[in-house]
Amino acid sequence: MDKFIAIVGTNSDNSTNRKLLQYMQKHYANQAEIELMEIKGLPMFNKPADKQVPAAVTDMAAKIEAADGVIISTPEYDHSAPAVLMNALEWLSFHIHPFVDKPVMIIGASYGSLGTSRAQAHLRQILDSPELRARIMPSSEFLLGHSLQAFDETGNLVDEQKTAKLDGLFADFETFVEITKRLKNAHAATAQEVRDLDWDNL
Amino acid sequence: MLKLVGIAGSVADQSYNRMLLKFIATHFSDLIDLEILDIDDVPMFNQSDDQTDGDAVQFLNRKITQADGVIIATPEHNHTITASLKSVIEWLSFKIHPLSGKPLMIVGASYYDQGSSRAQLNLRQILESPGVDAIVMPGNEFLLGDVKTAFDDHNNLKDDRTVGFLKETIGKFTQFVKVINSMNDKADEGWKKEDLESHGTVDTTIKGLDMHADDWVEQAAEKTHAAEGSDYVKLDRGVLTVDQLNWFLNSMPMELTYADDNNQFLYYNHTMDVKDMLAGRTPGSAGNPMADCHPKAAIPHVQQVVHMLRTGKTDLFKLPVPGMGPDKYIMHYYQAMHDDQGGYRGINEFVLDLMPIVKYYLEHTGQVLAKDPNAKADAVSGASSHAAAEKAKPDDVSGASADTEKPAEKPATDEVSGASASADVETKPAAPKDVDSVSGASAKD
Ligand SMILES: Cc1cc2nc3c(=O)[nH]c(=O)nc-3n(C[C@H](O)[C@H](O)[C@H](O)COP(=O)(O)O)c2cc1C
Ligand SMILES: Cc1cc2nc3c(=O)[nH]c(=O)nc-3n(C[C@H](O)[C@H](O)[C@H](O)COP(=O)(O)O)c2cc1C
Repeated sequence: MDKFIAIVGTNSDNSTNRKLLQYMQKHYANQAEIELMEIKGLPMFNKPADKQVPAAVTDMAAKIEAADGVIISTPEYDHSAPAVLMNALEWLSFHIHPFVDKPVMIIGASYGSLGTSRAQAHLRQILDSPELRARIMPSSEFLLGHSLQAFDETGNLVDEQKTAKLDGLFADFETFVEITKRLKNAHAATAQEVRDLDWDNL
Repeated sequence: MLKLVGIAGSVADQSYNRMLLKFIATHFSDLIDLEILDIDDVPMFNQSDDQTDGDAVQFLNRKITQADGVIIATPEHNHTITASLKSVIEWLSFKIHPLSGKPLMIVGASYYDQGSSRAQLNLRQILESPGVDAIVMPGNEFLLGDVKTAFDDHNNLKDDRTVGFLKETIGKFTQFVKVINSMNDKADEGWKKEDLESHGTVDTTIKGLDMHADDWVEQAAEKTHAAEGSDYVKLDRGVLTVDQLNWFLNSMPMELTYADDNNQFLYYNHTMDVKDMLAGRTPGSAGNPMADCHPKAAIPHVQQVVHMLRTGKTDLFKLPVPGMGPDKYIMHYYQAMHDDQGGYRGINEFVLDLMPIVKYYLEHTGQVLAKDPNAKADAVSGASSHAAAEKAKPDDVSGASADTEKPAEKPATDEVSGASASADVETKPAAPKDVDSVSGASAKD
């Protein structure tokens, strides 16, 4: 069974994005083992000269590295991903590179009707940058709008159409993970390239 | 000169973007007055732990609100802006929106030859989202690539063409700021809501009294069992009796007036008879709503000034009020007062004659006043040259004096800018008399 890390893209206590991931964890328990990962409490990324990464970040990196894939559920703040998620990704690309070639599924929930479309595009751009180089599942989007009304008391998605769409995308993601495992020819070279890429020596 | 604030999107000890802002601030100080704001103490944005009222966010809020425009210098991390900068923007788009309508310019430096191009594009999109709503200057992209080789040992940009382009960009931005702000001034009608009749109440308002009564002070004291005479009052920082407090305030070398955030005139230091005061006050007017102290025609101007102070557009509104002859230079200062949380709590108006201070200085440093042939019309009132200042007429705003004393001698000079011949001067070192012109003051004293 695939093991996925599900990153909650916020530090908010009552997050509908966390709810969405908790729903998936329960709903797909027969298909995959999903472990939620919180990003709250990391220090503000300050590009430390000694290149030291906090222990919490190395723990996270190890889990990501060991996982078959990563699901990120992002809120949308000011038409983009939240600072706290950007911060985690800065740490997770600072002299460590757990995301290289890692299959990633991006989803998101927002209060309004658009369902984080812009934040997801932003996150895609970030994960595609030279030090992250994740394998983002292409041509797929799960946008959960009106997220405050999207769940019932037991934490299930109310809208059947949305549920069906998520089921389909999740199955696709599992396939994508399998395919990506076969796209390993350039992995060693890419990993080396990323390790060599040192902003300090540009 | 335009007052701008600059934010470098980095909390690292060393940042080329901060260096770039410092270069702009020093190198173009003839074009703009740029203050660089620190974001190191701003916490990570968290929707469920609102720290909008904390010092770090309020500091930025205040500085940005008061500024004519903003420059952001952005690094690029992972093809986007830094989390530290994004977090600042999130705080400034959550419960408060100081960037709304603010003219803003983006610059950026990066190690790579792309020079933060992606981060800048991204930042533009973020700043234009409805919660932020800044007015970002279009075009004129200033990208400083390969930044590690861009500065010399003195932190100056090496390449003259780059400096030239930067100067051109800054020049365009100053034009942009003026255009946007003149649009904003027309749009901002908020001042009309300033209620100078004090119909509302604030938490300190003494309720149930006639604010217009001549004995309002006595009534209010009785109602609140106010401390008086030898009663002690604990202050920040000290303890005084009410008597001591009065002696202290009444010996201040200026006339002090307290108007609260409900626009009610609560206090003045009663040291002189109304006819001897620079801005006349009578014992009966304490407690009055501010409207009582001003002629009707002056009300809109007073409203504008109060609104500027309440909204933080400025913390200090300065108004020269000529008309008492060449031997006096009367200034009315309207200083916004704030509580510990930075909330607006009213106006401290202080009125004084600057002439004795100027004369003392000249005498003790061996200098004389001379006319500045290059002086611009607003040289004197420069610091307060906000839109409302241009509209406000001096004795309108200081109207408390208008209905009492000295309305007779209306000066013919431009009242607002105070640019009368006698004022339009600058001190120039003259031949020292018997004292060294610089150290003279201390040598004599
Ligand atoms: C500073 C701030 C900015 C926001 N900007 C947006 C936005 O641009 N678009 C949007 O759909 N919701 C925006 N929101 C509202 C919600 O927080 C957002 O819909 C979010 O995705 C909800 O996720 P959560 O339930 O996991 O916290 C913003 C909220 C905050 C606090
Ligand atoms: C985690 C991380 C990611 C970075 N990503 C980029 C990038 O995508 N593009 C780039 O030009 N520089 C990148 N850099 C290098 C510099 O930090 C960047 O050029 C920055 O703009 C320099 O400005 P500063 O000195 O003000 O921090 C990255 C650095 C770090 C530590």
